Amino acid sequence: MMRLLRIEWHKIGANRTFKVLSIIYLIVIMVISMGVMPFLRYVTRKFADNDFGEVDFTMLPFYEFPDIWQNLTYVAIYFKIFLALSLVYAITNEYTYRTIRQNVIDGLSKHEFIWSKIVMAGFLSLISTLTLFVFGMFTGLLYSYDTSLSVIFEDIYFLGVFFLQLFTYLLFVMMLATLVKKPLLTMALMFFIAVVEGIIFGRSMAFDFPWVQDFLPLTTINKLNSVPFPKYVFQEIQDYVKLKELILVLVYGGLFYLGTVRLTVRRDL
Amino acid sequence: METVLEIKNLSKHYGRLKAVDGLNLTVQAGTVFGILGPNGSGKTTTLGMILDIINPTNGEYTWFGKKSGTATRKRIGAILEHPIFYPYLTAVQNLKVVCDIKEVPYSRIDEVLVQVGLDERKNDKFKTFSLGMKQRLSIGSALLCNPEVMLLDEPTNGLDPQGIAEIRELIVDIANSGKTILLASHLLDEVQRVCSHFAVLRKGKLIHTGLVDDVSKGDKIVEVKADADNLLEVLERSGMASKVKRELDKYTMTMQNGYSPEDVNTYLFKNNITAKHLLLKTRSLEQQFLEILAETEGGQR
Repeated sequence: MMRLLRIEWHKIGANRTFKVLSIIYLIVIMVISMGVMPFLRYVTRKFADNDFGEVDFTMLPFYEFPDIWQNLTYVAIYFKIFLALSLVYAITNEYTYRTIRQNVIDGLSKHEFIWSKIVMAGFLSLISTLTLFVFGMFTGLLYSYDTSLSVIFEDIYFLGVFFLQLFTYLLFVMMLATLVKKPLLTMALMFFIAVVEGIIFGRSMAFDFPWVQDFLPLTTINKLNSVPFPKYVFQEIQDYVKLKELILVLVYGGLFYLGTVRLTVRRDL
Repeated sequence: METVLEIKNLSKHYGRLKAVDGLNLTVQAGTVFGILGPNGSGKTTTLGMILDIINPTNGEYTWFGKKSGTATRKRIGAILEHPIFYPYLTAVQNLKVVCDIKEVPYSRIDEVLVQVGLDERKNDKFKTFSLGMKQRLSIGSALLCNPEVMLLDEPTNGLDPQGIAEIRELIVDIANSGKTILLASHLLDEVQRVCSHFAVLRKGKLIHTGLVDDVSKGDKIVEVKADADNLLEVLERSGMASKVKRELDKYTMTMQNGYSPEDVNTYLFKNNITAKHLLLKTRSLEQQFLEILAETEGGQR
């Protein structure tokens, strides 16, 4: 596995597209982890100028343990697109430059090739999760009243959920990139699927057939972590992970992997 | 002798097109094997199949007596068509990828770069290389694992005369070091210069295999010019030639019974004729190749 990671690292470490996208992604994660409080202060100040009276948005426990874990991961997962794009390039480049062909000639099996991408996707997901953990700890300690260990780690499993969501999404992107082999076309397809799923999701809610959502991969991945914010206006939210949803995500991950293998093995390079 | 590669009944069909059709071929260790054929005769498809990047429709092949897989491919150094590398990586970075794939220590990188004369440009990006340098880098890459077999597909394609000479010299050096080489080419004099064995493909079928040396062992032809009116008669009487033909100002003798130009010279002198032009012409691979193609074409239609 280290060999595959090393191969992949040699390939993308010096790639400018990869570097730019990764840096943007890291900055975004930092901003989410540290920037919401300044934003809330700004909003509070804006509202203070109005005649509605004082509303102190900084009172929202966005960054307080244990809420912080679900809040952070819920927001951060929206920016997975940056990592996904760097994976799209990492895979489609291999087809445009035909380097996958030379890799196999040199002695990499097609399975090893796929696994080198999976290992890299896992590695990137892990780094993202760890970054989120480090910054989460930092801001959490800064803004929380209660910093006992049990409170800090109460909902920490949302980081695991975040990792799984990110990783499964990257597997999904890997399959699409393998299917179409062209970067822009892959992005168009990603966008198209997201839009179609959005429409179907909207219809399924309006006309009450929510079971169809289980057949929407992106929706299934996103649903694993529900919107946490309504609880601040005293609505009930799902602040835990349903076993059925977890299993569905794992099944989708497996399907994306098998799809990629099937596409690659059957293809003449 | 050890068999390096054995191909049995290998086929690749694209719909109705038979790119490779029931190919059988054996390559022994230590030979330099040329695969000839016109464009589109199935050379690259064949090489692609035995390197596991094209799925065959039919047939099988073994490397070193084993079923092909990552273990056998790591012992082979191969380049197909044009050089393929990551354009945004330097020569060294590119070769590191190959080292990790082939599980070869990085220390080999400097050695092969010196061998192919690229050590001065080793930290430049691949995309800045000229075609000749790219081609040399790919040969260097193929040499990384100190391969038992090298597989080269049109290695001089698109190069200028100097580049062609360089690559050819490199191939001869490698061949002299005792490695088995498979060289696919449509450049016949290239194959004749470096190869010991050759095979001819046409429309996906193997139509001829043989030794390159045997090509010139075929009919010898001697050209004779002399100022003598009865030259034709004298030459015919000699019994050295199976056929004597007049070609403009000279006569060509198709030699038989192992007679040499030397014998012709002595014979003419004895008959009071002094030759002013005496030339032994061996057949080139090109002639034989065209003859083979013409024969099969005639036979098939």
